[in-house]
Amino acid sequence: MTAAGGWYVYGVLLAAEATEAIFRDVAGVAGGPVTLVVDGDLAAIASEVPLSEFGEDAILENLRDPGWLEARVRAHERVLAAALHAAPVVPFRFGTIYHDEGHVREMLSAHRGLSTALVRVRGRRELGVKGFLAAVAADAEPATAEDDTSAGRRYLEEKQRARRLAEERDAQRAQWAEEAHARLAAVAEAATANALQPREVSGRDEEMFLNAAYLVATEREREFRAVVAALEAEFGPRGAHYELTGPWPPYNFVEDPA
Amino acid sequence: MSTPARSGSQLPTTYGGRQPAQLADVLERVLDKGIVIAGDIQINLLDIELLTIRLRLLVASADKAREMGIDWWEGDPFLGRGQKDALEGRLKRLEQATGLSDGDRGDSERES
Repeated sequence: MTAAGGWYVYGVLLAAEATEAIFRDVAGVAGGPVTLVVDGDLAAIASEVPLSEFGEDAILENLRDPGWLEARVRAHERVLAAALHAAPVVPFRFGTIYHDEGHVREMLSAHRGLSTALVRVRGRRELGVKGFLAAVAADAEPATAEDDTSAGRRYLEEKQRARRLAEERDAQRAQWAEEAHARLAAVAEAATANALQPREVSGRDEEMFLNAAYLVATEREREFRAVVAALEAEFGPRGAHYELTGPWPPYNFVEDPA
Repeated sequence: MSTPARSGSQLPTTYGGRQPAQLADVLERVLDKGIVIAGDIQINLLDIELLTIRLRLLVASADKAREMGIDWWEGDPFLGRGQKDALEGRLKRLEQATGLSDGDRGDSERES
């Protein structure tokens, strides 16, 4: 045990299915190799991290740096993506760090329920679906003032019309989200609808109306994709657009052990 | 209406050689989902959660801002410790407004 190092844990696999070769091509959050820490039937996916970067004070400071955080979050995700291609994996949230390998083993032995979680996600992967509504051309041309009274009146009418349109669009979005979610959930083992991402986050002009995750059996992935394509074909001409992401490790479908 | 840089959140990470994962989708999962087990290093999850949202707000505009030489999020008072209440309040308002208006964003911009 080195004084300056900690152990960062990405997630767990079943020891019987885990080999370090799975992580041959990926680097850990601190750039070093990814290894396995085994206890009983569980294997923690871990890597050594310098406490100068991941220690209690240092990490709080580093978390405030978007560039630092983005690089580490992506590294975390790449490690788990590599695991996903090889075996069922239960992903941990970012930033689970132990002082030494022994503590990682203790964590595994204290959370035997992780094996149950691994069984639950066996043969299933998470797929994400986002629904977008095409941006309508901003037809709220502000009235050019001919005289003050008509301009004021037009302004109010315009405002009322805009509110009515917004309400209609809200109702439309809710209906489409419900419809899509129901159809997709029907071919999934589990489903969850998450908070919508605002435009600044999604990086798109279209308004998001669905941001959901589905736990899909691998043998039904093709069917799931067909449902997405069917939604696109049916609602696309009316301005809806669906985007499939993943497969992801089952981030949305693991529960915290008690 | 401003047009967010579409390429801003598309950095090269792929699953199974498919389309690149967007940063917002990765952040949402890695920081907000997944199993939470207490490690030896105590990280205040509230800090992370607030940061996540804060970062999410930056994701799409960060690249564009960098192009213009703006890094206003660095040294942002909202990220200072002890400012959580202010940040939380602001986030609530932002969440209520479906999508940010330019005006909302403007007050945290420091271009001059």
